[in-house]
Amino acid sequence: MPQLDIAFFVPQIFWLIVVFATLYIFMAGSAAPKIAGVLKKRQDAIAGDLVEAEKLQAKAESARVLYEKSQSEARSNVAAMVLSKREELKDIAEKEYLKLSKKLTAKADKAQMRIDEAKNKALSEVREVATEVCSEIVLKIAGLKIEVKDVAKVIDANTNASLKGED
Amino acid sequence: MASPLEQFTVKPWVQIDVAGYDISFTNSSAAMLATLAVITIFVTFGMRKTALVPDRWQSGVEMCYEFIAKMLGDTAGPDGRKYFPFIFTLFMFVLAANLIGMVPWLHSFTFTSHIAVTFAMATFVFIGVTLIGFITHGFKFLSFFVPHGAPWYLLILLIPIEIISYLSRPISLSVRLFANMVAGHTMLKVFGGFVVSLGALGGVFAVSAFLPFAFIVALTGLELLVACLQAYVFAMLTCLYLNDALHMH
Repeated sequence: MPQLDIAFFVPQIFWLIVVFATLYIFMAGSAAPKIAGVLKKRQDAIAGDLVEAEKLQAKAESARVLYEKSQSEARSNVAAMVLSKREELKDIAEKEYLKLSKKLTAKADKAQMRIDEAKNKALSEVREVATEVCSEIVLKIAGLKIEVKDVAKVIDANTNASLKGED
Repeated sequence: MASPLEQFTVKPWVQIDVAGYDISFTNSSAAMLATLAVITIFVTFGMRKTALVPDRWQSGVEMCYEFIAKMLGDTAGPDGRKYFPFIFTLFMFVLAANLIGMVPWLHSFTFTSHIAVTFAMATFVFIGVTLIGFITHGFKFLSFFVPHGAPWYLLILLIPIEIISYLSRPISLSVRLFANMVAGHTMLKVFGGFVVSLGALGGVFAVSAFLPFAFIVALTGLELLVACLQAYVFAMLTCLYLNDALHMH
């Protein structure tokens, strides 16, 4: 077995020490810190991104809350606005109604007055006609000549009585 | 036909003598330098960009790093972290040596199949770990050899057993790696010899050479697994010994 040849123990161990020491210096001095640095950098980046994402999520959440708040505010504003507008319109309508009804009442009163006037005029004319017709009838049937004044007195009495009865 | 053990022969390439010591540059030294070069290239080029999102090569380097870092953390805890560069170097060195040894070419040589090399490494680990134990705990480290809760009359038996088992650690650590590598490479050589011998006979024998060849293919796969596994075991046991030294039982 060539492995048991003692002559080659020393050169092999010598070269082992040289090579292993070189490799160790390379690893400990340069390679391992470099790899550790990269891994640390990556971990930090991931952790940083996670923190950032959380922050953004909180921001989005607060924006959502704000949006909802403003939405409900707008909704209640609109409701209040509708209510006040309705009141206003009601007031206007009432005022217009009163104005119109006053005008109409005035018109109606005026018309009534005119009607009354026309009625009185007509009634007074009726009295004259009736007086004449009466005196004519009396003259023709009875042959009596009655003073128009007297006829008018009788008719007035009768008319007033009938008018009273009507009322 | 050469012996299947001939592949383990150390051949001096350049004779060097310093102060009476033979430190000749051999094929073993060449394999060690190749191992050093391969690891250096692997790590340096993998880390040439140190990108936040790694490419495949960088991922490979990072995987090795994290694999060993996790193993060390799991076995030795946070106190073992400062020994990480050593464990990492040890793992990468043994792994690369085993894998380079699997490459078949004219000067193919696996220095981890040499007891001198594995025993030197195991002894270094053993002495280092023992020193760490004494530095960390002082003479209290000797209580490591006294099992807890055993009655005094059993201690007479148990303390020598503990000491012997502790002292045999470098032997088991080095022989495990050495024997695995020797067995694997010898098997490959033996079956490779079958292929050549059967082929030389010609005819039906030449056709039947397919069988040992197929076996070599399967065995190569197994040996690649063993190469990785033994590097892992070597590093793992070093971590365990380190944990014993740092924390005792």
